[in-house]
Amino acid sequence: MPPPWPLRLVNLGAAFFLIVLLFYFSFHQLNYHWNWASIYEYRAKFVQGWITTILISASSLGLSTGIGLFFALAQRSRWLALRYFSKIYIEIVRGTPLLVQILIFFYVVADAFHVENRYLVGILTLACFSGAYISEIIRAGIESVGKSQLESAKAIGLTRAQTYRFVIFPQALRQTLPPLAGQFVSLIKDSSLLSIISISEFTLNAREVNSSTFSTLESYIPLAIGYLLLTLPISMWTRHLEKRHRFNT
Amino acid sequence: MNMIVHKSDWRIRSSPIRSWLAAGSLLSLLSVLVFSVASCSTKTREKLVVGMELAYPPFETTDTQGNPTGVSVDLARALGAHLGREIEIQNLPFDGLIPALKTGKIDLVISSMTATAERAQSIDFSEPYLKTGLCLLVGTNSAVNSQDDLDQAGKTVAVKLGTTGHTFATRQIKRAKVLVLDKEDACVLEVVQGKADAFIYDQMSTFKNWQRNPETTRPILKPFQEESWAIGLRKANKDLMPDVNRFLQDFRARGGFEELGDRYLKEQKQAFRQMGFPFYF
Repeated sequence: MPPPWPLRLVNLGAAFFLIVLLFYFSFHQLNYHWNWASIYEYRAKFVQGWITTILISASSLGLSTGIGLFFALAQRSRWLALRYFSKIYIEIVRGTPLLVQILIFFYVVADAFHVENRYLVGILTLACFSGAYISEIIRAGIESVGKSQLESAKAIGLTRAQTYRFVIFPQALRQTLPPLAGQFVSLIKDSSLLSIISISEFTLNAREVNSSTFSTLESYIPLAIGYLLLTLPISMWTRHLEKRHRFNT
Repeated sequence: MNMIVHKSDWRIRSSPIRSWLAAGSLLSLLSVLVFSVASCSTKTREKLVVGMELAYPPFETTDTQGNPTGVSVDLARALGAHLGREIEIQNLPFDGLIPALKTGKIDLVISSMTATAERAQSIDFSEPYLKTGLCLLVGTNSAVNSQDDLDQAGKTVAVKLGTTGHTFATRQIKRAKVLVLDKEDACVLEVVQGKADAFIYDQMSTFKNWQRNPETTRPILKPFQEESWAIGLRKANKDLMPDVNRFLQDFRARGGFEELGDRYLKEQKQAFRQMGFPFYF
């Protein structure tokens, strides 16, 4: 039973008011000359950057889920070489900074293979980076399914593929959803690092506006709101999915 | 079965009265806190904090030990000696210098910054202390020989974020594509790998970047826009301006700039004199 709505509303209002008050106080202390008019002139740049960020994030989100799934299964493969390969890939990607990966991928690897499109390289790098994390999340989800279940599956004569399809995945899905949502949210934020190879996404465009108007806060506050508009729906959607899958298993 | 209380029942965790009370007391506590501290005054400091981006040798850079060094660092120290105040160097990204100055995090900008009309709307500039110009670094095999060759469809121009080259490109480059990068090194790399046709930057750095990549790049040092560097001050800080200008005058008269040029820019000085380009503080 949820709490009655007036109580919910008041408490939500109180929490919100608290946060607003905190920021109001901090900004009040700053004694800053606001200049929103200069930012408004650049609104097209913000919108264009925001859309680029959505496109890049969405593409690498889909791609990284595929990569993550592949490497999660590869780690449980019967071929030892494939298992080692995925282990090495995951450790290297998770252990090195994304900034370095982007630079090496773009200026060394992509240059060697004559891939000139920096957007493509950006999406691939981001997908590889995020894919390593997602594969670990999926692996953890798969391993959370108890051994007795696998033995039961074997006992009733399910094949390996059937075991994955009907026993492991439905249960692993619920375990993986919360960390997966977190990973997707950080993927969107990590896409801002692609600005170093001059991909004109949201962050780079905000920085360009900042460098030509010198209105730092006015450029970065819309940036924060823009990212929040992308990440909040993801959190809400996965919460909804979690609820739906709660009694399925 | 009715005895089992579901986990998500909110009553387990909080009674309604407690919830109301908690919300109310938190609010009043924070309100008191905010309005009592809101009247605090801003602090003054003895030290002069000078902001610069230590990524522009030989003007602003770090030595092997990681200490700031270069023309601007020496200039800042000489200014401190002149004013009798201690100097603290703060390393900030170039596009963060003006915001830092505006919000009072630093007191002066000495970072090879060109005094432009746009920047002058946000901050004040001292008398200029060095004159230079924008020019091009192009690939060895590039057909680009001037700014006009560059501004063609299908051409790509690299610029560094927040520099006058960036401003110039946004205004004057109409047909070519502009690549905005964070670091000077990345801009040079784009030209070296042929991803960009040219990099718009100042003469001294272009010369230096060409010397580092003589096989892959070629400088077109003829400036297409003259600029002069100055020290940046906060608009509210009117008292400091006459002191800074007097110092610059004094420093020039003492031959301080000549000395700095000989110490840090000997090679450039000779090369520019041979090529007949103006080079002076």
